[in-house]
Amino acid sequence: MRSIVKLFIGICSMALILSGCSSGKGSGNEAIKVATVTTTESAIMGNMIKLMIEHYTDESVEMINNLGSSVVVHQAMVNGDANISASRYTGTDLTGALGEEPIKSPEKAMKTVQKLFDEDYNQTFFDSYGFANTYAFMVNKETAKKYNLKKVSDLKKVADKMEAGVDTSWMNRPGDGYKAFVKDYGFDFGKVYPMQIGLVYDAVEAGKMDVVLGYTTDGRIASYDLVVLEDDLHFFPPYDCSPLATNELLKAKPEVKKVLEKLIDTVSTEEMQKLNYESDNNLLEPAIVAEKFLEKHNYFEDKGGE
Amino acid sequence: MGDLNTFQQFFYYFSENGSYVFMQFLQHFLISIYGVLLAALVGIPLGILISKYAKLSGFIITIANIIQTIPALALLAILMLGMGLGQSTVVIAVFLYSLLPIIKNTYTGINNINKDLIDSGKGMGMTKAQVLYMIELPLSLSVMIAGIRIALVVAIGVTAIGAFIGAGGLGDIIIRGTNATDGTAIILAGAIPTALMAVLADLILSWIEKKIDPIKRNKKFTKPTIQSLND
Repeated sequence: MRSIVKLFIGICSMALILSGCSSGKGSGNEAIKVATVTTTESAIMGNMIKLMIEHYTDESVEMINNLGSSVVVHQAMVNGDANISASRYTGTDLTGALGEEPIKSPEKAMKTVQKLFDEDYNQTFFDSYGFANTYAFMVNKETAKKYNLKKVSDLKKVADKMEAGVDTSWMNRPGDGYKAFVKDYGFDFGKVYPMQIGLVYDAVEAGKMDVVLGYTTDGRIASYDLVVLEDDLHFFPPYDCSPLATNELLKAKPEVKKVLEKLIDTVSTEEMQKLNYESDNNLLEPAIVAEKFLEKHNYFEDKGGE
Repeated sequence: MGDLNTFQQFFYYFSENGSYVFMQFLQHFLISIYGVLLAALVGIPLGILISKYAKLSGFIITIANIIQTIPALALLAILMLGMGLGQSTVVIAVFLYSLLPIIKNTYTGINNINKDLIDSGKGMGMTKAQVLYMIELPLSLSVMIAGIRIALVVAIGVTAIGAFIGAGGLGDIIIRGTNATDGTAIILAGAIPTALMAVLADLILSWIEKKIDPIKRNKKFTKPTIQSLND
């Protein structure tokens, strides 16, 4: 008899105590939910937003990690499951969530995306963090020196002798894929090997490929000291990375808007390469990388008193 | 990190990210416990009910059985459509998975009690409620705990999958490991604590189960029921 009563009292009190844990802090209103996708970059930026909001306000922040793609994040934002997306790219959203034609000028793309998100979805697409994660051709240091390569156009003279490693999905992509590239730049590589994107950095570093197409924020660019060739014809659409938040949240909690604005123009593409490298190669969790970065910069206390 | 082997990387990972892993461990555990406790609050009364009204038992156990057959990923996806992303969806999934072991063990525990004991209780003039509280529940308690134990071990596994719908927990670390360049150590850093949690939960509850069983607890009594009736 007594043990039964004890068990039930135990279960009930545990439930009560535990429910106390979760809804703990904050002024009784709902937690701000930050959505990130599976990339390291997204996780780092998401954690930065979380830490910044916790540093400057009393709001509690919940992370929704590992979402499959920016389309899933977009749906979550529209459904109200999330209030902030940590990493949205102008190029991805323009063709993905908004269903527009790609725009090649970064400024114009950013303006269009900001305008359309505000009008169509009542969401604010902030200005960029300062880095862009786009496709770029890269070579190792020796190759760059040997042929004096700085821009993609410089490849023209030597391209027919070169072996290029590119992302498999890029080969058949319409618009900014391989065929369009050959047409726009007016030259072709000697041989093109479609390969998994994760392998291209090692391949070019080891000299197995002369030139590869990779992502500009990958940590291995910094660690292998690769030379990113400037896309002088602006062939690849811009993928500037920004936070996105619902206007509803920004109106209800204007202090959150100020916090997000503090992060604008703080992380350059090179900086992002380093942060990604910390996490991918040095086994640091994105949460720890974000915390170290913010501590180093004193949570941007001195920046923008607006 | 190329110069370290997986084993060294694993320890390096813990030394650098210990606090983060601990937070995820706690979150993982809380999600599992929430779901199981909710299921216990619903499942135990339901189990008692169907042991009294045998007609209901087939229906309710069938429903719980059907829930159990849905793969975890599918159940999470279905719940996600209705409830959205995040932890509460995973708690509900855990709750649904925990119903069957808890209901069924409560039901079996009560039904397997020696009918003579219940009859003698009635013969002594006990009311129905007294029979339930003084005979049936104490004797079936350890079987109920066994149900909770199964439910909790399953729950820890389901919660790991919950990372796919943004609930966090140790599954988060495992998914990150699969995306990292050389993520074996990270995957292990997520998987080993998850397994450890399940084993610990199992051991602790099996210890409680033994403690609470009146027959095993009082070996010196040849007729354990005498003790529990005096209790």
